[in-house]
Amino acid sequence: MAALADTAALPPPRRRADSHRGLVFVLLAPVLAFFVVFNTIPLLWLLGLSFHSFSLTSGQPPEFVGFRNYVQLWMGRNNFWGDLQRTFTFVGVGVTIQTLLGVGLGLLFWGSRTMPGRRLALTLLFAPMVLTPVATGTFFRFIYDPNFGALNQILLGLGLPMVDFLGNPRTAFWAVLAVDCWMWTPFMILMTLAALGSVPRAELEAAEIDRLPFRKRFTLVILHHGKFILMLGILLRTIDSFKTLDLIIPMTKGGPGQQTRLVAVELNKQAFESFNMGFSSAYAVYLLLVSIAMTSIFIFVLNLRRRRG
Amino acid sequence: MTRSIIRPAKPGLVLPRRRLLQGAAAFGAATLGAPFVNRLQAQEAHPLAGQSIQMSILGIAGWLPSSLGVQMSPLFADYAKEQYGYDVSFTFAEAPFADLFQKAATSLATRSQEYNIIISDSQWLGALAQPGWIVQLNDIIAQNPELDIEWYSDIVVDTYMRYPDGSDQLWGLPQEGDTIALFLRQDMLDDPAEQEAFQAAHGMPLPRTFEDYENLTMAEFEKVAAHFNRPDQNLYGTAMQYSRVYDFVSCYLYPFMWSQGGDIWNPETGEVVGILNSDINARAMEQMRDWLRYQPPGATNFGIAEIIDVFTQGRVFSSFQWAAVGLSMITPELEGKVLVAPPPKHGEGEAARRVYTMGGQPWVLNAYNDDAHMRVAIDFLKWWYKPETALEFARRGGNPADAATLNDPGFDAINPWNRAYKYMLTEGRSRDFWHHPKYAEMLAVQQEGFSAFMTGQSDDAMGVLDYIACAQQQILADVGDAPEVPSMCYGTSL
Repeated sequence: MAALADTAALPPPRRRADSHRGLVFVLLAPVLAFFVVFNTIPLLWLLGLSFHSFSLTSGQPPEFVGFRNYVQLWMGRNNFWGDLQRTFTFVGVGVTIQTLLGVGLGLLFWGSRTMPGRRLALTLLFAPMVLTPVATGTFFRFIYDPNFGALNQILLGLGLPMVDFLGNPRTAFWAVLAVDCWMWTPFMILMTLAALGSVPRAELEAAEIDRLPFRKRFTLVILHHGKFILMLGILLRTIDSFKTLDLIIPMTKGGPGQQTRLVAVELNKQAFESFNMGFSSAYAVYLLLVSIAMTSIFIFVLNLRRRRG
Repeated sequence: MTRSIIRPAKPGLVLPRRRLLQGAAAFGAATLGAPFVNRLQAQEAHPLAGQSIQMSILGIAGWLPSSLGVQMSPLFADYAKEQYGYDVSFTFAEAPFADLFQKAATSLATRSQEYNIIISDSQWLGALAQPGWIVQLNDIIAQNPELDIEWYSDIVVDTYMRYPDGSDQLWGLPQEGDTIALFLRQDMLDDPAEQEAFQAAHGMPLPRTFEDYENLTMAEFEKVAAHFNRPDQNLYGTAMQYSRVYDFVSCYLYPFMWSQGGDIWNPETGEVVGILNSDINARAMEQMRDWLRYQPPGATNFGIAEIIDVFTQGRVFSSFQWAAVGLSMITPELEGKVLVAPPPKHGEGEAARRVYTMGGQPWVLNAYNDDAHMRVAIDFLKWWYKPETALEFARRGGNPADAATLNDPGFDAINPWNRAYKYMLTEGRSRDFWHHPKYAEMLAVQQEGFSAFMTGQSDDAMGVLDYIACAQQQILADVGDAPEVPSMCYGTSL
């Protein structure tokens, strides 16, 4: 017994702890190397470039200009604030619609588990999500075309006037947003089904036995258990929606005028059409800060339960 | 007395018959075999004789003249084998207009010879030349007289070859000349009922010939467009480019400005403010927007392809279109039914004139080509400008720009658009815009502004011009090529 007590009092073998730590380092090293090479170094490079004036087509080396690029953006050069405002509208309205539709359709699918053809319907419903946005944008451009597009042929067939969806400044933004919703609502359906899957069956059955109305069942049982998965879905959609570029380029290129010019579209133009590497780097840093702020808010909300607990 | 059978030798040069025959045979053989021997000598003299070279060309996707350059390259391979004794094969890469510069620039910035020869757009000369990505051709032209060509007019040199404007530095050679032309449905114009109705409505005959349109003003053409504008029959008067993509709306708005005395910048000082935002240009913008009433729905999205679509499908009576896509505009179904004429003049009476935008693209050579690829690229250009190659290019639907081909009596008859193209390639009738390295950035601002006005996002033409002028001068000022923008620019926005 005393021998056992002596053994228990001994510190754990040092060599074993060291080798364990070494193994952890070896296992982490590839990930860390990847992170440093593909994330940290480019980020630092971007940060450095943002303090320079450097155009790829000037033939001149980068010139240090301090905070000039940041100041110019802050002062609204290239309508930065207008683009940001438009982007927030796009993200806010788009993600809200996708969430409401996604939750609604998800609940319908959840309640129709015995419906024949459910799997096929789900597969078809998820198809838009797996299409490349460039392809989606291109074929929606044709669908919206006022002369040859299918949508206008339907409108004409119904006796309605032709609409130039992408050429009219009043409709272009909403036409693009509608395509974004068509494409990404299935993702929110998927997240809703995952959230519903996390609800304990016993609690659902108890709520049914207690004959709780649907509204209470939804808020007290389903949302209580599934809200964190739903929040994760909203977070992912918000971040992704903030970067929308490849859908807009084939549809409107940011036009008409600036009506569909989101921040990612302008950033792409500055970097890869105008080749203003310094200015576009400052632009990217601003966007990074906005993204970090948004992510922090969501993570704060996600952690609320743990804090309350 | 016996007569000698041997005739006395005559004084002077005397050749025995045998030697004479031998000499004649040698001369004959030499004459017949000279080209072969010369070719052998040429092949031996060529440093690449016996080698195999792989060349790559970067061109414009979906652009017929660019693809003609590509399609004809096997002819050069045969020529190079025969003339220089080396084998050459080509690979091709392409990107749409709006993306080609990006594709070229990202490759050239890494000092790659991925693309040995590039079909550039004329306005990119500065952006490609300034960083040293393409070869200055002055020395090459001096060393290769075959490339010292007499061009049809000075605007060919100014558009496709020269950078900076006004200098003697040459960076490109024309691959395809191009101008705006007016494509009209000749079959509709020839309809006696239409002629009668037009005469009755407007008290003037319906313009029907090239010469009629040569003298026509926009105000007069508006009557023609209005006459054929029948939305209830799904037929519209005309089509122009208003699209925000690349330079589409700019190229079609400039003729309204230039023809009426407006300008876009001062290339010597870099000033844009006070030049672009003028009353003339503001009025020009309003005029172009007014023309939307004679065009199909969605015309604010029209680019080159959309105009081809509406014209070939019979949705419009006429179209302002690049001569370069004549082959696509005149489909087999429309052969013999299309008149291609000079686009109308702007203004009235004696003061009326036309200054339209130049199109077309130059060949440029990658500065990072190794010696062998550079040599083949130069051989290729020398072959491209041979009269028979230029003629073959024209026969296939391309637009050469050299004086010899265009002045050939048969040139006008090769394609229906050739006469209009040649007419518009004359000095004073067409011009190009900036070749500045900041071209892409200046264009992007302008396309946004013009598109905002044409689509009705803004109704203040002068306000839009103020915004564009200030932004463009700021872009030039940032690189030291223009004075700082005046205080009126602070706070301008679309």
